[in-house]
Amino acid sequence: MMVWRALSADWLKIRGRGLWFLVFLGPLGLVAMQGLNFGLRYDYLTKQYSADLWGGLLSNLSDFVPVALYLGGTLVCSLIANIEHQTSSWKQLLALPISRTSVFMAKLLLCLLLVAFSCLLLSAGAVGLGLALGFKRELIPYADVFRIGLLSYLAALPVIVLQLWLSLSFRNQTFPVALGLTLSLTSLFAMFLAEWIPLSWPYLVWGTPHHVLYSSGGLLLGLLVLLPGIVHFARKDVE
Amino acid sequence: MLNTEVKNMKDMKNTVIETKDLWKKYRGRAAVENLNLNISKGEIYGFLGPNGAGKTTTIRMLLGLITPTSGSIEIFGQDLRKNKLQILRKIGSLVESPSYYGHLSAVDNLEVIRRILDVSKSRIPEVLDIVSLTGEEKRPVKGFSLGMKQRLGIAAALLGSPELLILDEPTNGLDPSGIQEIRSLIKRLPLEQGITVLVSSHLLSEIEQMADTVGIIRQGQLIYQDTITNLQQQAAGEMRLHVSDPIVALNLAGHCGYDGALREDKLIFSRMNDARVALLVKELVENGHSVYRVEEHRQSLEDFFLQVIGGGEA
Repeated sequence: MMVWRALSADWLKIRGRGLWFLVFLGPLGLVAMQGLNFGLRYDYLTKQYSADLWGGLLSNLSDFVPVALYLGGTLVCSLIANIEHQTSSWKQLLALPISRTSVFMAKLLLCLLLVAFSCLLLSAGAVGLGLALGFKRELIPYADVFRIGLLSYLAALPVIVLQLWLSLSFRNQTFPVALGLTLSLTSLFAMFLAEWIPLSWPYLVWGTPHHVLYSSGGLLLGLLVLLPGIVHFARKDVE
Repeated sequence: MLNTEVKNMKDMKNTVIETKDLWKKYRGRAAVENLNLNISKGEIYGFLGPNGAGKTTTIRMLLGLITPTSGSIEIFGQDLRKNKLQILRKIGSLVESPSYYGHLSAVDNLEVIRRILDVSKSRIPEVLDIVSLTGEEKRPVKGFSLGMKQRLGIAAALLGSPELLILDEPTNGLDPSGIQEIRSLIKRLPLEQGITVLVSSHLLSEIEQMADTVGIIRQGQLIYQDTITNLQQQAAGEMRLHVSDPIVALNLAGHCGYDGALREDKLIFSRMNDARVALLVKELVENGHSVYRVEEHRQSLEDFFLQVIGGGEA
């Protein structure tokens, strides 16, 4: 499979480019933030969530997952694209016997893998923090812990795919990164946004009964954005 | 006359690259205009032209990096649009400035490409050896000199054991010893590995020292395509004779088998050896002409090149 060959080549390229640092920084940052929150207001918060301590922690953590996904996705896409932009490697890469669709898909898969890794790291971090705060081990809601990052993941796909497309298209990363930052910050006000706006979907999957709707909506819209992205990438002139 | 002979020879040999009426327009301005390239198997084809003439645009089209506005490209007898990946599998390329991942070592740079090409790992030390980079393979490439980066680029181009090597300005920006190294490397490839090479340059001296066939491009148009030997012959110069009665003298010379022309009251002949000059002068004098002056006019290849790219008519 051409995609796997491209992916294994990309896997080698990301060494020493700060991507792994970012992948660890995101989830550990979120966990540290809640560590501070619960550490400073321990008595108040444990009283408030006394019925479900783990649930309280996860719900606090989940408030920041969507913005972290958007921000992380933006930066990961930009860093991946920049590896090729920086020393104008496109003309070498795209003159190799590999389809442009495979090149695009490999980069998307790499980005999704790295973000998924961050999500799992967040789950692990949440467990670690809960145990450190003295929450009972036997009460760990494993299903929710596992979903904390991944639940919003599909709903965030449209923005991640769009960011990858833009980052691959523009040699100068200022515009794609600025747009990604704007979207991330706007998403913080998701509660004021109408629910048909995709930017709010990662928030809506948490704590509403409609999470399947918003997740599948995200997946569908992600694929819809992917289509023109691939067509454009496959046809564009490489200068 | 010679051109058709060369063309027939090429048809008999294997044609590797053939473009037909190739155009590339950017916002109405033609970067490449009606280009008909013809490159045969096993030769080094020198693609010559001033900067901005359309060399790189042409090469990018040959590699499928940009789409022609119109016209067709056939490589190894196959249509590039239909069989792009199959064709690219047999091509190694180096386009303009070297492409490399600076944070990776030379070996890892080649490994990235090897994984896509899916060739044996043993090719990496082999190509490093061909470009004499053995011993430097573990260092990050960002610390390499331009010449080393360029050689790494050639190593990368050779990794898939290509049948056709396309090198765009491979000696640009190198110091004289670097140029010498790359040049001898390029000249070795067709002999040792049977590779066909397309090499572009804006320097005539470069092409003259490497190529078997030369194509000269100016303002997007191919204005000359022939063997380097014929180019040298065309540029070889002429004999000019001042005589008392040029028209009659030209007629006489014609009868004696000298094919000449009249220009500004002088007789013009293509270059000939001393014996033939002496015979012509003797013939003229014996028939009552006064020969005032016999001049040899030499034109360097450089002059010829400038005349071709400046004037348009070869």
